[in-house]
Amino acid sequence: MILAWLLLIPFIGGLVAWLADRKKLVDPALVTLATLLLDLLIVIGFYFTRDAPIEISGQQWMAVLELAWIPRFGIGFVLALDGLGLLMVLLTLFLGVVAVLSSWQEINHRKGFFYFNILWTMSGVIGVFTSLDLFLFFFFWEVMLIPMYFIIGVFGHENRIYAAIKFFIFTQASGLLMLLAIIALVYFHHQSSGVVTFNYFELLGAELSASVAYWLMLGFFIAFITKLPGVPLHTWLPDAHTQAPTAGSVILAGVLLKTGAYGLIRFAVPLFPEASAEFAPVAMSLGAVSIIYAAAMAFAQTDIKRLIAYTSVSHMGFVLLGVYAGNETAARGAVMTMLAHGMTSAALFAFAGAIGQRIHTRDMRQMGGFWRSAPRMGAIVLFFSVAALGMPGLANFVGEFLVLLGAFKANMLLTCIAAIGLILAPVYSLIVIQRIFHGKRLVEKPIPDVTTRETVMMLMMIVVTVGLGVFPQPVMELMASSLDLLPVVAFNDEAGMVSQ
Amino acid sequence: MTAEQLQALLPIIMMASTSVIVMLVVAFIPRHSVISSVTVLGFILTFASLSWTGEVGQGLQVTPLIVVDRFALFYSALLLLASLVITLLSFNYFTKGSGSENQVEPGEFYILLTTATLGAMVLVSSNHFASLFVGMELLGISLYVLVAYLSHYRQGRQGSLEAGLKYLVLSGVASAILLFGIALLYAEFGVLGFGQLGALWSNIGALNGIYAMAGLGLLLAGICFKLSLIPFHMWTPDVYEGAPVMATAYIATISKGAVFVLFLRFFMVSGAFMQEMANNLLILIAIASMLGGNLLALMQSNVSRILAYSSIAHMGYLLVVLLVANTGNVPVSTISESVGFYLVAYIITTLGAFGVMAVRSNMLDTRDTDQVADYKGLFWHSPWLASVLTGMLLSLAGMPLTAGFIAKFYIITMGVEGLKWLLVSTLIIGSAIGLYYYIRIIIVMFMRHDEEPITGKRDRAVSTIDGLVLAALAGVLIWLGVYPGPMIGVIQAAFPG
Amino acid sequence: MIAIPVEHCLLLSVMLFCLGLLGVLVRRNIIFVLMSMEIMLNAIGLAFVSGGARWGQADGQVMFLLVITLAAAEVAIGLALVLQLYQRYRTLDIETISKMKG
Repeated sequence: MILAWLLLIPFIGGLVAWLADRKKLVDPALVTLATLLLDLLIVIGFYFTRDAPIEISGQQWMAVLELAWIPRFGIGFVLALDGLGLLMVLLTLFLGVVAVLSSWQEINHRKGFFYFNILWTMSGVIGVFTSLDLFLFFFFWEVMLIPMYFIIGVFGHENRIYAAIKFFIFTQASGLLMLLAIIALVYFHHQSSGVVTFNYFELLGAELSASVAYWLMLGFFIAFITKLPGVPLHTWLPDAHTQAPTAGSVILAGVLLKTGAYGLIRFAVPLFPEASAEFAPVAMSLGAVSIIYAAAMAFAQTDIKRLIAYTSVSHMGFVLLGVYAGNETAARGAVMTMLAHGMTSAALFAFAGAIGQRIHTRDMRQMGGFWRSAPRMGAIVLFFSVAALGMPGLANFVGEFLVLLGAFKANMLLTCIAAIGLILAPVYSLIVIQRIFHGKRLVEKPIPDVTTRETVMMLMMIVVTVGLGVFPQPVMELMASSLDLLPVVAFNDEAGMVSQ
Repeated sequence: MTAEQLQALLPIIMMASTSVIVMLVVAFIPRHSVISSVTVLGFILTFASLSWTGEVGQGLQVTPLIVVDRFALFYSALLLLASLVITLLSFNYFTKGSGSENQVEPGEFYILLTTATLGAMVLVSSNHFASLFVGMELLGISLYVLVAYLSHYRQGRQGSLEAGLKYLVLSGVASAILLFGIALLYAEFGVLGFGQLGALWSNIGALNGIYAMAGLGLLLAGICFKLSLIPFHMWTPDVYEGAPVMATAYIATISKGAVFVLFLRFFMVSGAFMQEMANNLLILIAIASMLGGNLLALMQSNVSRILAYSSIAHMGYLLVVLLVANTGNVPVSTISESVGFYLVAYIITTLGAFGVMAVRSNMLDTRDTDQVADYKGLFWHSPWLASVLTGMLLSLAGMPLTAGFIAKFYIITMGVEGLKWLLVSTLIIGSAIGLYYYIRIIIVMFMRHDEEPITGKRDRAVSTIDGLVLAALAGVLIWLGVYPGPMIGVIQAAFPG
Repeated sequence: MIAIPVEHCLLLSVMLFCLGLLGVLVRRNIIFVLMSMEIMLNAIGLAFVSGGARWGQADGQVMFLLVITLAAAEVAIGLALVLQLYQRYRTLDIETISKMKG
């Protein structure tokens, strides 16, 4: 039942926040913060008091909840949590807290509706990370987008409506493809086994002909890579990130992008192992192209949020590379990169929001010389920029290094291309520091330095980033059993080269 | 006629008596509240009589014309509830007009609602061309007047007159085409019952002969016209725009629903789905409707017109379910179940959307509140109305949490099981296009007024009746979207037999 | 009495029906449109009656009676709307009121 509560608490909290604002009882931001902290406490408490793991089809699960839902179609309300899911839920809630803190002063009108949407997004995302019935998963997959759509469309910046509609249509249309693939998977499984079910555990063993599996895998892949996002389906992301309010950007970059990667790890690859192995060279190439292309695009941006958005695409390229590399090292690296990128991108977006609030522009050409008036802010941003570019000792380094190490075994050429990304990363990361904090001071008024609230928020993320970088072993152990289902593909270099 | 048959006919008799009683009330006690209450009472009593009729058991044939089975009873119940909702929402729509110099007592509106519903009930119980004809015309002729209803006030609406004339001429032509198809089939085969026709067709296999094929083609064309499928859709947007909003809601839900139910029964009982020609024609029509409806809706700035084109697309989706019948992969009961769920979801959703529009409209205005611009910032001054409309639009778009999602899920499942990949991919593309115009209305409702000035008009308070009806519709919408099990059970029991 | 072949009757009714349909499509005067619809309905009646004669059943004639009823009802409403049209616009041209587009 704990899993149901995880979902329900933000769901109810959202309603409470809205009502509280309408009746002018309490600040909805406080309600939201309390809700998220409560949920976070429950997860942590659950982790330390959990029972012996439950084993289903060879995997270890910390908690499982199974209820009948729509028996007509063999659809159940199946929630389960394993190491990977737990990490993702923790990340979600943690960044939820960050998002609330970062938008504390930004949102002044219609706060109730804003925090309602934040909490419902959280609820939907936690649903995505815990549901193991394909119908239920799709249900949450779509549901989490609607509040996000409102966050961008109602509370965003000048071009928000365009961005919101683009975001919505890209993700929903690709979602429809996934729905088709899910239904077809269930149908073919029904043909071979005589059972109609949407249960993940039962569908894992579905017997499919190679061509059918390939097509269905593509349906899933397109939906997930749109969300990830990978080139060429990434074009919604720079607009959505740029136009979203700070909290929206933090959640988008930190959490929503991870649902795409999570989907690949949990569904696309394990459900269709052979087809995925066959497809891996293409997927890895897309990953490598994403890394290079997005890094180059990031360098060309003048809008700070747009720049950070492109760096997200670049980093998620490593995740794509790692997931399809077909060995455990790379897969662990991919998950690590997901966590690390969650921290750094959220921090950078929060910082962009903070700057935007101070000088009311996102254009880097109008910034410069902020170090003198805001040295603490400069230091923090420098930290996260350096983290993002992959400084050893910090979380991103661990992730990207493992990805490259694993991918090198699978495909040497692509790995070499991807490694160029590591050279480009310092270029675009340091250009941010260079343009904003050094150089001529274009704004006459000195900008105020970070407030206590911002310091606390950033410190939280710094602690996590350093912790993950220096001491990644517990997290690695936590995710280990979840990655068993990623097929260990016997790639060899010739095969990798031939497929070029 | 035996007592059992009379019992089976009771709902139809009750509905007919309601019409007569309302007519008398209009003549002798011409007060809006009385007329409305009597009509509501008539619908409720007729609804109640359905459960008693349900005891007569499965598939009782009453005269060669009418069959009373669970299928007929279920759809009668659905259509009666929809009529009830429309009657309740009409009250305030017309009340806003009274008290002014143009004071009107819209008695005839209620008479025509009852006769139209009578026609719809006959349609869903029909398995003979004669009752098909009678039901469809009873429904159609009542609707001509309902559409043109607001044209006769001194400052009446021009749109209503135009829509009425267009509907009269185009729908009249469609009826004639349908009837001519029936006449040709009759001249060719000499039978008028669906079952007899099916027996003949299963003997001869594929139809040949110019009259037989023309007959079936014309019959299908007539039905497609009533369902406003492309290329027989020309009347839809104009009628939706011009008709008083409650009449539009009636056409969109009850008229189309009843005709589709009849179509389903005819298609199944007569075995028309085994005819290659009929299938190929319908595949073309379905594809054209799914794509065309959604594409044409993109360019509209009037909510009624958007809903009109969206209804074209939705009827196209629904057609997909019928088209998997001839593959033999899907049992007929499943097809009937899918159509049932889709219609339930679609009727609730459409009623909700037009209901919000009706609550915000006034019969004395020159038009209903149906421009997209009228909805600007609605969320910030009437959050509940805007939330209901948002829910309805998301349901039309097929978003989870709403009934529309389960309905779309049904259709895709049917398409996959029938291995109709072309139709399913068209449906996916159509739905993806459709997202745009639904989301556009939603975003307009949520526009902040600190930046854009509000052009949308502000509303009077929503009356208790309207509020309750809309809340009920929204509640059912969510309930069906989150926990559809019980409703699926009810629909599964409603099988033609 | 020489029986008229049923094909001839059907052919005639098809021709009448097409004439009526053509009339509806090309006429701009609403009265003529309504008259054309009457022609279509009568063509249907003819087809039903000849079908009834072919099979020696009364069903065709029953249907014809129903068709006549429909024609009467339709024209009653049609003429009521025509009166509205004429009173307001002093014209019977159906194009004058066609304002809705899109």
